[in-house]
Amino acid sequence: MSRRAEYTDKALAPEAVVSVIKERLGDAVEVVGLRDRKAGSNDTVCFHDLWLRCPKDKFLELLDILFELDFPFFHVMSGNDEGEAVLLNYHFTLFQSSGKASRLGVAVSVYLPKDDLTMPSIQDRIPGAEYSEREMREMLGIAFSGMPDESLVFLPEDWDEQIKPWRRDEAGPKPEQIRELS
Amino acid sequence: MAVGEAKTYKIPIGPVHVGLKEPITTWLEVDGERIVDIKVRPGAIHRGIEFMARERNPIQVIYLAERICGICSFAHIESFVRAVEDAASISVPKRAQYIRTIMLELERVHSHILWAGVACYTFGYDSAFNLGLLLREKVMDVLEAVSGNRVNYGVGTIGGVRRDITPEAAAALEDMLSYYRREFAAFYEVATEDPITKARMRHVGTLPPEDAVRYCAVGPTARASGLRVDLRWSSPYEAYADIEVTPIVPQDYMGEVYGDVFDRFLVRVLEVYQSLDIIEKALSGLPEGPLMAEPKLPKLLALLKAADGVGWSSIEAPRGDDAHIVKLTKGDENVTWWKVRAPTYANIVSWPIMFRGQEIADAPLIVNSIDPCISCMERALVIDKRSGSSEVLTKEELLKRSREKTRRLMGR
Repeated sequence: MSRRAEYTDKALAPEAVVSVIKERLGDAVEVVGLRDRKAGSNDTVCFHDLWLRCPKDKFLELLDILFELDFPFFHVMSGNDEGEAVLLNYHFTLFQSSGKASRLGVAVSVYLPKDDLTMPSIQDRIPGAEYSEREMREMLGIAFSGMPDESLVFLPEDWDEQIKPWRRDEAGPKPEQIRELS
Repeated sequence: MAVGEAKTYKIPIGPVHVGLKEPITTWLEVDGERIVDIKVRPGAIHRGIEFMARERNPIQVIYLAERICGICSFAHIESFVRAVEDAASISVPKRAQYIRTIMLELERVHSHILWAGVACYTFGYDSAFNLGLLLREKVMDVLEAVSGNRVNYGVGTIGGVRRDITPEAAAALEDMLSYYRREFAAFYEVATEDPITKARMRHVGTLPPEDAVRYCAVGPTARASGLRVDLRWSSPYEAYADIEVTPIVPQDYMGEVYGDVFDRFLVRVLEVYQSLDIIEKALSGLPEGPLMAEPKLPKLLALLKAADGVGWSSIEAPRGDDAHIVKLTKGDENVTWWKVRAPTYANIVSWPIMFRGQEIADAPLIVNSIDPCISCMERALVIDKRSGSSEVLTKEELLKRSREKTRRLMGR
């Protein structure tokens, strides 16, 4: 299936994006927030950030819906070890080439339970996600299925791959492995 | 091409090199002089800054963020403090928004002039390189006049700025504007109208627009491929809400777009003029008022300790979109987690596209063309698969090859 590889010049209002997602995925995707981002001397709303929470099994479907609206520019993934689960936030942008003040940031949060730290890779859809997936693999221990290159990207070559630096449980670094500088 | 089975060499470049900025390894797979494939291995300078932030409060993290990069240090704190302000719902006074904008544009002027000079150096145009570094001094002086520092300005803070634009600093800025409008044109002409310069940069390191989209290229790299993307335009922040910024793309100036090193050069040169206009407008429209939303530090820290949420900020740094995401937890004075995505992180993914089919002599130029915050050519090991021998190519030798190509083009 070939997907678009261009940015649209037709922006949708953030509310319209929400209703498209709601229409297609119903309550499976939760709208956590739609933030107005203001700036300038008149405090005008210059863009929006949409925060969504999506179950893992609906994630690719949600991504394909975004593809219908615009090529979802991928910024990065952020994440954290939340105890029971690992949180992954995918940061996308829609309509960044559709005119002044038209951009919509879309952050999608996915919670992965500790006993199943897997996600489908999105590199077939967005090759630009390569480094971020590799980073989340080495830092948080997420396995991305279908990922072409699983080698380390930021950690040293002689790194013990059992240690996942950003984890806060037994998979993370031990206190004696951390060198305090101050 | 060899008779029979085509064999390729592998050339590692890096990881350490003193001439360019930071260490990174690139493995070039070459067939003769032609680059077949490239594999990038960063990580030599990963300092775990995001991990360190977990034991620091947001004010302390500003100083970490500032030290991510020497050239775009303000861009990083700008993005970080905006993310914190998003998480804690802090709004920034107008005057501070304008001063931040001026700082961001000064940094862009600095970054682009330095880059253009270094690019000329790479292919042996030393007079343009020296001119570039000479021109760069002016903006460094002005940054010092405004902030007291040439690097790591210490200007930004959460909810505002720590330094005002004094009348003396404003005079220095105005002097800089007329200086660049007078002097930068000479650099623009030698660099863009010189046939050899053009021959070295045209059709080199091409990134087609659809690949720029799919590989999520950002900043001048994306704009040089003809994409109209600029966060100052699509999602204005600070004073960009009041000041018109339109993305600079080659097709608007040259009528066509190639997405090569020349276009990346052109976009950056034109953006210097754009930045001068923005600085002028921000300076003349500088509103009166306070510099910080909360000048009392203990009160600000208490406010941040009470905040709960995730903040996200993407700003247009000189090299492109710089994204910071930060989580604050109520009752915890430290940053819970923080993610930084510098523009180079995004642009390096498209290096393989730019490199394929190019000559080794063009490698330094292509590496440079995205203005990497990490790059190097210290030494290269050439493994000749045909004879089984290996030799070490020094940085000087690689640079020599690049420069020899220019001389060949000049017919000398």
